[in-house]
Amino acid sequence: MTDTGRYLYAISRDITDRDLPSAVGLRGAPLQVVEHRGLSAVVSTVDLDEFGDEALRRNLEDITWLEDVARTHDSVVRVIADLGPTAPLRLATIYLDDGKLRARVDDLYDAMHRTLDRVEGRMEWSVKAFAPWRDSVPATGEPSSSASGRTGTQYLMQRKAESAQRDSAVESAAALADELHRELSRHAAASRRLPPQDRRLTGHEAAMTLNGAYLVERSVAGDFEAAAASLSGQHPQARIDVQGPWPPYSFATLDDS
Amino acid sequence: MTEVSSRARADLRSTPPEISLVDLLDRLLATGVVLSGDIVITLAGVDLVEVRLHALISSVRAQPREPKPGGERDG
Repeated sequence: MTDTGRYLYAISRDITDRDLPSAVGLRGAPLQVVEHRGLSAVVSTVDLDEFGDEALRRNLEDITWLEDVARTHDSVVRVIADLGPTAPLRLATIYLDDGKLRARVDDLYDAMHRTLDRVEGRMEWSVKAFAPWRDSVPATGEPSSSASGRTGTQYLMQRKAESAQRDSAVESAAALADELHRELSRHAAASRRLPPQDRRLTGHEAAMTLNGAYLVERSVAGDFEAAAASLSGQHPQARIDVQGPWPPYSFATLDDS
Repeated sequence: MTEVSSRARADLRSTPPEISLVDLLDRLLATGVVLSGDIVITLAGVDLVEVRLHALISSVRAQPREPKPGGERDG
């Protein structure tokens, strides 16, 4: 017989098993609600052969496994977010039994309610901006063949000018990112800047200058989208990606310090 | 494991993902982004075992074209 654990997807309020009739969790297991003093922890049972400490350390390094679990986690969180305020858990939070889970929820009881209050009726939007230039100017090396015939001084002056241009492009891209974030934050209940994503991951040649997350009231989501579209129109030189609404992943942090 | 994984993936394809894997991992793994600080596993009533994910996201990020030299792993 395999040992099992309880995988925790999210915490919500006042939901029951009956609210989750057809939704399934990891590996097709049914979702269940562990209720504790009005907080609803949504869980499913997982095999520790796959989700135990040792197996997790190994599996988390397998990108296919990671994507599979992350997508299922996200799909469950979305179901819960449609039902009520939702605090999504970090990937792979697993308890050996419901007693230990309840004890943890009890520890964080007040902070969890505050978190749920903060995200209630709100969704997350993502706005990213990419620098308009391609910083593919050669950084080092000998004068290229096209430089032949120029003097060393001419070459150095040209390199200096290129470098100054690049610096000024970097500066204006950073200033634009600040401005976008400031404007978008005016339409959001909360906002934060996540670290820009690596180019190898985004697949864009341009550097990401803004990786913004915005917590937006559902009732004014249209205003937020309009503001983002308007900013995008005002700055055709920058590439701006707007995505959402998503569950409030970036805003479900606990503040119990 | 591969059989289980592929079945779960097929289920997910019925609803196209609205969030890219990078964005999702940014949120599900990155520091201080979501509710719980670390993976929390209680093993046989002993203390919490914490698996820190900071290193993981770097390894995910480095994965596309930069396999770790030598393939050695820390124990």
